[in-house]
Parts: sequence; C-alpha cells; structure tokens
Amino acid sequence: MSSDFYTSSILPHAGIIIKICRAYTDTQEDFEDYYQEVCLQIWKSRDRFKGESKWSTWVYRLSLNVSMTLLKKRKNSPQHFASDYLPTELTEELPCFTDESLSQLYTAIRQLSEIDRGIILLYLEEKSYQEIADIIGSNPNNIGVRINRIKERLKKLLHGKIY
Amino acid sequence: MEKSIESIWKDGFLTADELVAPKLNDLYNKKSGHIVDKFTRMFKVNLIMIVFGSFVLLGLSYMFGVPYLGIAMFILLNILAFINRKLMNGLLEIDKTANSFDYLKQFDGWMKEQISINERFARVLYPMIFISIFIGFWFGEIGGDMPGQVLLNEFITGHPELLLVFGIPWFFFLGGILLLSLLAYFGGKIYQWDLKIVYGRVLKKLEEILADMEELRG
Repeated sequence: MSSDFYTSSILPHAGIIIKICRAYTDTQEDFEDYYQEVCLQIWKSRDRFKGESKWSTWVYRLSLNVSMTLLKKRKNSPQHFASDYLPTELTEELPCFTDESLSQLYTAIRQLSEIDRGIILLYLEEKSYQEIADIIGSNPNNIGVRINRIKERLKKLLHGKIY
Repeated sequence: MEKSIESIWKDGFLTADELVAPKLNDLYNKKSGHIVDKFTRMFKVNLIMIVFGSFVLLGLSYMFGVPYLGIAMFILLNILAFINRKLMNGLLEIDKTANSFDYLKQFDGWMKEQISINERFARVLYPMIFISIFIGFWFGEIGGDMPGQVLLNEFITGHPELLLVFGIPWFFFLGGILLLSLLAYFGGKIYQWDLKIVYGRVLKKLEEILADMEELRG
C-alpha cells in the first residue's frame, strides 16, 4: 500500500475505523491487528469502489464486514491460534478512554452480537436508518426497531446509568 | 448523573487523543486474518500440495513397482485439484464491499457449495483410493512377483476348494465390497468431520451472524 493512498484515502476515516475496531476487540494486540486488516482490505478492494456511495460509507461497510468476520482469538474458543500461547503478560488490555462513561459504554457494546455492535456504532455516528439499512443489508423500519432494542439492552448492561 | 448514549459518545470522542491510529507494520507481508483471504490462501496451498503429492506418488509408485497405484492416485488427486480450482474462482469473486448481509450470504453460499461438492466427491474419492491401493498392490510387481498372484496361489494351494469370485477368494471379494460400501457411505461424513475440526468455529460464527441478520431483515 502506498503511503499516499493511506494518507489521502484511509487516514481521514481512521477515526471511524478505530471506533469500529475497538468495538470488536478486547486487547491492544487484537485492536492493532484489526486496524491493519481493515486498512489492508480497503487497499485490496479499492478498485471495487464505483462511487455509487460516499467513500466514507464504503469504508464503514468494509470495516464492519472485515471486523465481523476476522479470524482472531476469542475468549472461550475451543480452537487455538499461535497468539493464544503468548504469555499473558505480553497481551495488553485495550487502554481505557479518558472519559469513563465512554469506556463503560464500549464495554457494554462489546457484549452485543456482531450485528448489533455494527448497528449501534453506525447509529452513534449519526447515520440515518436508511444508510444503516444499506450498509447492513436490511430495511429502515427493522433497523429502527432493532436500535431501540439495543439501547434497552445497553441500558441494562450499564445498570440504568443512561437514559 | 444520567446521560444518553448519544451524548456519552459525542462528549467522549471530543478528545482527539482517543482516536490515534496505530502504526501500520509490515503490511505488505502481513498474513491476512480475514476469512476469505485465509480460505483463498489455504485453498491455493492445498491445491499445490495435492498436485505436487500426485507427482511424488506417481514417481514413488514406479520406483516401488506399483505403477497402477501411482497412476490411479495421480488421476484422482488431479481431478480433486481441478474441481477445487474451479471452486476457488467463486471465492475470489466474493465482494467484501457489498452490504453486510449480501457479503455474508455470498460467503455462506460459496461455503455451502464447496462443502456439498467436496462431500459428494469424498463419497467417490475414498472408495476409489481403496480400489487404487488394492489394484496397485494386487497387479504390482514387488521383488519380481505380483503380490496378488502370490497371495492367491498360497490360498488356492492351501484351500483348493475355495470359491473364487472374479478370480479372488470370496471372502476377499465380500470384504472388499463391504469396505467400499462403508467408505462410500461414510466418505461424506469423514469429510464433514475433517471440515468441522478445521473450520468449525468459523462456520458456527457465520451461521450465528446470518441467523441474526435474517431475523433483522424479518
């Protein structure tokens, strides 16, 4: 990947990629792996971008698809990968956000299903129901219903600290 | 004080430090952990190994005087490689930039197709491998003799009353048929078992996500 491509096409959207990757990972190592993987896949798939949607929407979509289907270690997974054998002192938990409420919100989001994580991230990024439906492949009405359910679930997970 | 998740999100990310991108290391040589890339890579390696193995077997079979075994295995393995090479084209066409549902559906569809084809082929492949091994050794030439003929002569000398079916003792024939039937019956299951060990976790995860999406599309 050329550094020009990274600087001009990926870096402006690094924020959302980071937000998505953090929602799908627990450790700093996994987070960096996911981030690299998303960047790699954006670069590899760049010729498929036909300009039918905004570049940022396309990046959201690809980042979600990649994050949902990355083959990385999972807690309690019966299968093991080389990284599972790293001594625990070499694995580093994701650093908390300076904002404690945001850290707690992220912890709660990580407990949602893969799809729900994607939906709530898009919602929090102020995407319209229609855009979310286009990215996920659903319809706006169902997205609206699902968002309400996710918010209820988050409220429970955060022990009512949100409204 | 209670806050909405929207405000937690907005306020929390006001600090630019929260969104510092990690450095990209060794991206060119980075082995992808992505399902589709991983499958493609594994598929390519498997195909190369199958074709390479077929040539090795062919050479070894001539060296050890069992050329029929080598030829039969060479043909079988190359048919397997050919079928899977064709299947790989579908894998290369999967569009990661499609919407999540279509993307996962495409991948799931490809997985199901390749599993179904390989499962059916396994029902033929395992019995054919057995037949190849049998014919290879039976009609081979080891130490100047045909092992099958030597074995047959021994049996016939010891038991002249022995019933032969197609020139071989009846219990060999029956045993062979039984084994072939078992291999044909369990061939698909053996393949499924193998698949579960290697890809079980991924397949389960894919199934869960798709079920969730189906519900969402309602």
